[in-house]
Amino acid sequence: MVVGDIATGTDVLVIGAGPAGYVAAIRAGQLDLDVTLVEKEAYGGTCLNHGCIPSKALITASGLAHEAGNAEEMGIHADPAVDLSQMVNWKDGVVDQLTSGVEKLCKANGVNLLEGTARFADENTARISHGGEGQGSESVEFEHAIVATGSSPIEIPNFAYEDEPVLNSRQALALDSVPDSLVVVGAGYIGMELAGVFAKLGTDVTVIEMLEDVLPGYEADLARPVKKHAKELGIEFHFGYSASEWHEEDDGIRVVAEPAAAADGGSEASGDAASTEAELAEEPLELDAEKVLVAVGRAPVSDTLDLESAGVETDERGFIPTDDRARTNVEHIFAIGDVAGEPMLAHKGSMEGQVAAEVIAGEPSAIDYQAMPAAVFTEPEIGTVGLTQSEAEEMGFETAVGKFPFQASGRALTTGHSDGFVKIVADADAGFILGAQIVGPEASELIAELGLAIELGATLEDVAATIHAHPTLAESVMEAAENALGHAIHTLNR
Amino acid sequence: MVREFKLPDVGEGVAEGELVSWLVEEGEEVSEDQPVAEVETDKALVEVPSPVNGTVREILAEEGEMVPVGNVIITFNVEGEEAEETESQAEQASEPEGVDEPDEAEGGVDETEEVSTSEGRVFAPPRVRKLAREEGVDLSSVQGSGPGGRITEGDVQAAAEGDSSEPADAETAEAAPAEPTEDTGGADAAAGTAGGAAGTAAPSSVESADREKTLAAPATRQLAKEQGIDIDAVPTTEERDGEAFVTPEAVTEYAEAQQRAQEADVAAAATGETGPRETREPFKGVRKTIADAMQRSKYTAPHVTHHDEVDVTKLVETREDLKPVAEEQGIRLTYMPFIMKAVIAALKEYPEMNAMIDDENEEIVHRNYYNIGVAAATDAGLMVPVVDDADHKGMLQLSSEMNELVQKARERTISPDELRGSTFTITNIGGIGGEYATPILNYPEAGILAVGEIKRKPRVVTDADGNESIEPRSVMTLSLSFDHRLIDGAEGAAFTNKVMEYLENPELLLLE
Repeated sequence: MVVGDIATGTDVLVIGAGPAGYVAAIRAGQLDLDVTLVEKEAYGGTCLNHGCIPSKALITASGLAHEAGNAEEMGIHADPAVDLSQMVNWKDGVVDQLTSGVEKLCKANGVNLLEGTARFADENTARISHGGEGQGSESVEFEHAIVATGSSPIEIPNFAYEDEPVLNSRQALALDSVPDSLVVVGAGYIGMELAGVFAKLGTDVTVIEMLEDVLPGYEADLARPVKKHAKELGIEFHFGYSASEWHEEDDGIRVVAEPAAAADGGSEASGDAASTEAELAEEPLELDAEKVLVAVGRAPVSDTLDLESAGVETDERGFIPTDDRARTNVEHIFAIGDVAGEPMLAHKGSMEGQVAAEVIAGEPSAIDYQAMPAAVFTEPEIGTVGLTQSEAEEMGFETAVGKFPFQASGRALTTGHSDGFVKIVADADAGFILGAQIVGPEASELIAELGLAIELGATLEDVAATIHAHPTLAESVMEAAENALGHAIHTLNR
Repeated sequence: MVREFKLPDVGEGVAEGELVSWLVEEGEEVSEDQPVAEVETDKALVEVPSPVNGTVREILAEEGEMVPVGNVIITFNVEGEEAEETESQAEQASEPEGVDEPDEAEGGVDETEEVSTSEGRVFAPPRVRKLAREEGVDLSSVQGSGPGGRITEGDVQAAAEGDSSEPADAETAEAAPAEPTEDTGGADAAAGTAGGAAGTAAPSSVESADREKTLAAPATRQLAKEQGIDIDAVPTTEERDGEAFVTPEAVTEYAEAQQRAQEADVAAAATGETGPRETREPFKGVRKTIADAMQRSKYTAPHVTHHDEVDVTKLVETREDLKPVAEEQGIRLTYMPFIMKAVIAALKEYPEMNAMIDDENEEIVHRNYYNIGVAAATDAGLMVPVVDDADHKGMLQLSSEMNELVQKARERTISPDELRGSTFTITNIGGIGGEYATPILNYPEAGILAVGEIKRKPRVVTDADGNESIEPRSVMTLSLSFDHRLIDGAEGAAFTNKVMEYLENPELLLLE
């Protein structure tokens, strides 16, 4: 305790007001607990301010511009002019509306809001430093704490985000003019989403990726339509390279990339095109561009909290290990969201936030989901939930798989986007749906139905026998289930 | 190498303990000092730590079993013996892009929770999972009666009522009373029941099937018709040509189950009950220990209880004055420290009340120290934490020590040593209601004082000039039980009067 310090007491101290933290705070408030929510920057966290929401706003806006200028086939002739600063202003308006909504919801649920940075002083006290000179600090004594500090973009050597031409995803979403050319380091979902945005706005985009394909972690047949479409947009790819340095040139920058084949996990010669490309990567690559965007993943924010003062342990990557009640190794301290481990997804954090609040209130809550959906907002979109075919088979299931291509969907054809498919993986024996993978128009929305099916223990027959409205994209889910049962109407049954 | 682990002496002089629950499973990795089991001795629930880093090889005692100290309960493979390096993580060193790894779908496939075989997967909707957590039912041991074995709410209810599945975790274990069993058989039936097949489920929980199509022999159909049974509703696990197939036995069994269910419904309607009319649970653990102690006390020491009431209006005022002072030091000041101080002052004046009879050696033991037990009601039953050398401690120290001990007793983290060695016991009966009690001695102590709730009551008050008036005053009841072998009635009354004197005039405590 510092002399002259003000100490307040609270049942639950939530650190971080992202989609995990604010949900935990609101739920705890609903359960009649005294809750204090500390946020150092902006309500809504990365998701609302610098991640999911602003990126989706720009993906929609850039998509609209691109569509309008590329619809001659439909008889539409236009050459849209894009004012990026106005587009960003619109995006900021959306963000402001949502963040102020979060603040209002917190207050309406009796949550005490504190602005500042929290550090643990001991296992029942945190010190909150308020931003700015002379703003002071205070101590909060808590019965329970919930750590929800999220994650931040990983920096790679020689690419400091404070250097003006080097961007992380957050800075890229705040640009006020469209760069002529852009190198994107990393072909994961963030890199691919933003590469698409800038390509559609007229930027010459080059993507370098140290592995052999786009979207590592997703099955090749899901990634394929995404890569095909990106190439149609003019995006260039260099696989098997990792960015090593950059330097100023007269009219921009030059990014140097080294062959990654020598690095750990270099490509095994599997003979496909990508690995051949990677193996040919023996010479360093030099790419000229106006800016470079680094999107190689995110790391947990756990080193700013003085966790050791509270006795909370982290793993070697900085994540805070938790049990199925979101508890850390310290009984009354919980961790949720990105800081508590992968998958780093906002909806996973929100669910953990609800569980943590309910456990604190003494309810028999637990992290007990059957399937975690994930959505990638590339073109076409990807939506996944549950097990892939190979995962299900590894678990000992005999699988029944049904597929339906959007080429066979009337509604998909009328949208002008018919690349991709719906794939459903089920247990051949009892018909239980185990997982689904969708790549195609509105995949991020369509996947919800299959998440519900998995949670309810629905079978192929249940989904196939549920009447889906026509003409909709959702019919494709029903058709894929019918295909797995061997009686699809609009595709040939294999 | 293999390390055998014997049940250690978890509390001084404890001969056996009940293995309440295992916190690990066979094959699970454990680290040194990680709790592996919960053992209940006659006084407290104790966690038993692992002695090594390694993996659990074999679990040798059942949950619920009474294990003598020194018996091997678990064996470990000590770390360093097996070195199995699997999976060269080719992508481990790559720039981590796995932010949205879709293969995390399994609710943490890498955790031990989900069994990694298709048999280990449980199909049940979220509301059923929640119900299972509420009821302390382990879903993996429940047979589902829904399509393809999907678990329904009814299956979980049946498992909760008909079986004693262990509580899913320690947290619910603490809150949930021992699951009663309907029959007096073993309390560790493993699997849940469904479809009435195992016969232990409550008959009203027979889940009907709901099929469109059923294969059955004509004779079976005839039998169903005679019994008034819809053949499509008869549960079956048999199939012919991929269709459900019903045998005559299945029809009979279902008809009987329906009959039982109807009878049970009629009986329930008649008695207004919905649950079983009678349940039984083993009489053991903390409850049994309390019972043994009560019985021994009551049948060894002839009890006499002396009742009186005391005007504590001044004490109430004094405490009100001192409460904020104590709060500044973070201490919640209750009446108990005042009562303890008053009792100690009286004990010093009447030392017999602090003595005890050593029945074995036929001696009276006079004790010149004052360890005061404070009885506390906990979820696990009555416990008596002890404040040692209470006469050497100030009011605030008594207060904070006692609050801490009572808290530990309620959380069952109190050590057996902290529950032993009292010379006199105080029990507060005012928390819930009532005026007087006949407390049973905390044998072999000679006295126990029960204090009631402080209530406002009309009292005749005489002023300095001898004028009488009726005034509202704060009044507390006292019930002192004592061992009549050692203490005479007059001494009991005098002791009580002394306690009352201090409680009526709390300033006298300053002289103590």
